[in-house]
Amino acid sequence: MSQASTQGHLPPRWASRFLEWYCDPYLLEDLQGDLLEIFYRTTSDKGPRRASWQYTWLVLRSFRWSALRKNSKLKNNIIMNSGQHFKVAVRVLWRDKFNTMLNTLGLTIGIVCFVLMGLYVTQEVTFDHFHTKKDRIYRAWLLEDYGEGKIFFNSNTPVRFENLFEENFPEFEEVVQYHLRNFPVSRNQQDVISEPVAVISPEFFEVFDFDLIHGNVTEPLSGRYDLIISRAYAEKYFGDEDPIGKTLQLQFDEDVTPFTITAVLDDIPQSSSIKFDLAISNVLNRELMGERALTAWMMVGPETYVLMKDQTSIETVNAKSQDVVMSYLGEEMNRDEYNIGFQPLTDIHLNPEIPAGIAPVSNPVYVYVLGIIGLLVLFIACINYTTLSIGQSIKRSREVGMRKILGAAKRTLIFQYLSESVLVALVSMLVGGLLAVLLIPTFNRLTGTELVYVFEMWHLAIFFLIALCIGTLAGIYPAIILTSTKALAIMRSGSNSRGKHWVRKVMVTFQFVITVLLISSALIMQKQIRFLQDKDLGFEYQAFVSVPLFSSSESGRTTERIASARANGALLKPKIEAHPQVSSITMASHAFGTPGWAALSFTDDKGIFRTFSMLAVDAEYLSAFDIGIVEGRDFEKGSGLDERQSILLNETAVDYFGFENPIGKKLPGDNFGEHRIIGVVKDFHFSSLHQEIAPLVITQNVLPMFLGISDAEVKDSMIPKLLFKFTGSQLSQVQEILTEAWESTFPNRNLEYTFLDENVARQYENEARLNKLIGVATVISILIAAIGLLGLTVLVVNSREKEIGIRKVIGASPFQIFHLLARTFSWQLILGVVLSIPLTVWLMQQWLEDFAYRVGIGVDMFALSTFISFFVALVVIGFQAWKAAVVNPVKSLRTE
Amino acid sequence: MKRESIGELEELVLLTVGALINEAYAVAILDELHQQANRLIDVTAVHSVLRRLEKKGLVSSEMKGATQERGGRRKRYFLLTQAGRQVLEESMAVRMELYQKLPKLTFSVS
Repeated sequence: MSQASTQGHLPPRWASRFLEWYCDPYLLEDLQGDLLEIFYRTTSDKGPRRASWQYTWLVLRSFRWSALRKNSKLKNNIIMNSGQHFKVAVRVLWRDKFNTMLNTLGLTIGIVCFVLMGLYVTQEVTFDHFHTKKDRIYRAWLLEDYGEGKIFFNSNTPVRFENLFEENFPEFEEVVQYHLRNFPVSRNQQDVISEPVAVISPEFFEVFDFDLIHGNVTEPLSGRYDLIISRAYAEKYFGDEDPIGKTLQLQFDEDVTPFTITAVLDDIPQSSSIKFDLAISNVLNRELMGERALTAWMMVGPETYVLMKDQTSIETVNAKSQDVVMSYLGEEMNRDEYNIGFQPLTDIHLNPEIPAGIAPVSNPVYVYVLGIIGLLVLFIACINYTTLSIGQSIKRSREVGMRKILGAAKRTLIFQYLSESVLVALVSMLVGGLLAVLLIPTFNRLTGTELVYVFEMWHLAIFFLIALCIGTLAGIYPAIILTSTKALAIMRSGSNSRGKHWVRKVMVTFQFVITVLLISSALIMQKQIRFLQDKDLGFEYQAFVSVPLFSSSESGRTTERIASARANGALLKPKIEAHPQVSSITMASHAFGTPGWAALSFTDDKGIFRTFSMLAVDAEYLSAFDIGIVEGRDFEKGSGLDERQSILLNETAVDYFGFENPIGKKLPGDNFGEHRIIGVVKDFHFSSLHQEIAPLVITQNVLPMFLGISDAEVKDSMIPKLLFKFTGSQLSQVQEILTEAWESTFPNRNLEYTFLDENVARQYENEARLNKLIGVATVISILIAAIGLLGLTVLVVNSREKEIGIRKVIGASPFQIFHLLARTFSWQLILGVVLSIPLTVWLMQQWLEDFAYRVGIGVDMFALSTFISFFVALVVIGFQAWKAAVVNPVKSLRTE
Repeated sequence: MKRESIGELEELVLLTVGALINEAYAVAILDELHQQANRLIDVTAVHSVLRRLEKKGLVSSEMKGATQERGGRRKRYFLLTQAGRQVLEESMAVRMELYQKLPKLTFSVS
């Protein structure tokens, strides 16, 4: 062994110190010698890093709990004495009930907030993590990039990917597809309900850990018409009966097909991106999607999931996927135009860079923001404890001095005081944790989250550990302050441990900064959301009802299906229209409040790639929604020419296509069918206010438009909806009117309807939820800050009791006394407000950038939040200060 | 006095202590076990076995010989005691006796 190569390296210091701490001195020397010898040997053989690991491991391996008991250094020490410490702590806490109550209350509230936010963040972050093979499961995406902005990025993939992957990538152990589609479902042909039904590969359960609990659990989809049902749905359709072997009717187009239930699936957990209650086999794809879909490269539908074989890497697949694509599409496409990629299963829920597939994706920023808020609120609760305890230290310095004189070591004293804060934290954790779990339903209702908490025994350990951390964090500073004073100094001069006042002030200020920050942010978000909800969108939508129509055949060309649905609408329309409380009835391919309107693209005569949204309506549309005409005219009712070929543009589209004088012109593409622009409508916000208004073409006949385009992206179904305004006052009547009209027209179909104003509001659901969550945190932080302030005021009043008495004797008025006391905290509060402003502005600007239309941050909200914080502070301080100010000075001066 | 019974690893370590004569300290025992018996055990296991053997009175120990490579720390050298030797001999006798009874293998394997 060469000395030179090893001398520079030493084993980790903490490991050595730990060893020295626990090890019996009799055994220490040779054990440590041996470990060192091995360490040096490994260093020269395998490098210092490896040696350090090995050393640490051996130190930990050598540790025996029994060694601790025999260890003489530990006798009369922390662990042995913890029982004693806690007993004393209980007595001390009991003695000062008011402070203990404030401390516990503050911490409890903080913990409730922390636990709730923590559970929410945990649920979001561990989404889809319950699959045992999660690290090997990937979802495919498809990115088509034909240059000039012609980019199509989807997590829904072509049907043929399943075979494509199986044939070309031996790295995949399994390839499965999952699609969710709505079909009318009934048990006995009478109560037909449209239900989402998963269409999955028969090997689906080899990849994912969804538990089949009953029936044929090994090959549940071996038959063509086999059906898997969830436990909840089994109950819904069959009650207590055994569902296995029973049938449910599913309706594809006009054909009703009986499916046999072969297996029952345990209900899928909330934290799963893949969620379904009914599942059928994708061998039916030909019937469901049509022949063309099976081999098409551009038609996307199902999500494709792959399970990697052990010891293979997705990189090898990525490296050759383009070659595989070229071997099929080489003649039609250039390299890198058609790209296939893979995303880990656990990444799906929180990765906004890859488009959402079937399940919506959460915004990771919101999750992190909430996590940080939870931590901050907990932190200010800890600060509360700290500042209050430092305040208390004045009272307790004599106690410390006495203990020191009697021979207590500093370390013992610190542990004594820590045991107090840990005890408070444990109690708070117990109460707060229970409270948080009990509050989950309220929390969900209030904020619109879907939090589910399932308790497991090991969580107790986590909660215990968190409580220990909180207790230590909150108590360590006062404990050090309290015990570091010189015993003699304390005993001689009574109380002078006020030296570290600035730390307390900084902490109080910091607490104010966070509280004011939260108040201002909540207010600004509130303002933006109110702005979104109240903004004039350019059309009427209050009290409008949307009824999705259906096409009599699910297959066939889009134009045929639209025509069929429109014919159905025409049957329904007169029956609804006849009702006196219904007005403004019309039909349109898309309804407000639903994203994903048809976006059509073509290359115009100058070679520029153009994309516009299209809305197919009837002649009454504009008047029904009160959308203004800027130029030209509206569709004329009953005019065959208008029905065939007239189109309207919105103002944005006129600018976009560069028309000077659009009336009578055509769209600048060669292949469009016969059409003519007859008018320009005022811009209206047909998509959510996150986006700018897009160019829009309104037409009655979609065919001429379809002829001229090269690409279409339609997320919302183009099958027409019947829209009407309900002018009555009882919303429940809508149900009656609709049911009556619908059942007499389409007895076998399930009626669905929504209210447009609800749909429009739902577009801002995420923002509204975040606002509510922050609102909850704000209220909690105000409470905590108020409690802290209350405690501090009481302390200050108590410590200045004599001073106040003397001042009063000299002739100070109660108001002057009040002023004196209120001043103590006012500059900290002002500083808090001032410091919070730039932080808030910065944070809120980030948030507001998500919106194309937004409010200015403005001074008003800051004025309001400043007012709120001062008001709360004044109320809290005021009461105590006033009480002190009006007390008879004789009382405070007589003692002693 | 109750007769001490020892386990397989204990017996192996005891033998090694005996075999190394005056050089038996933990790391040397570890190496010897690795070379002779091809057993890879970590040093903490050797330590606890040695401790047990010492408690049972089968080995005795003594601290000496500080070297630079151990950060100047002395080694604990182990020696086989009389009792230890006896235990080893008894266990060997038992083994030999049983081994003798094993039917002799012939080279009739074709």
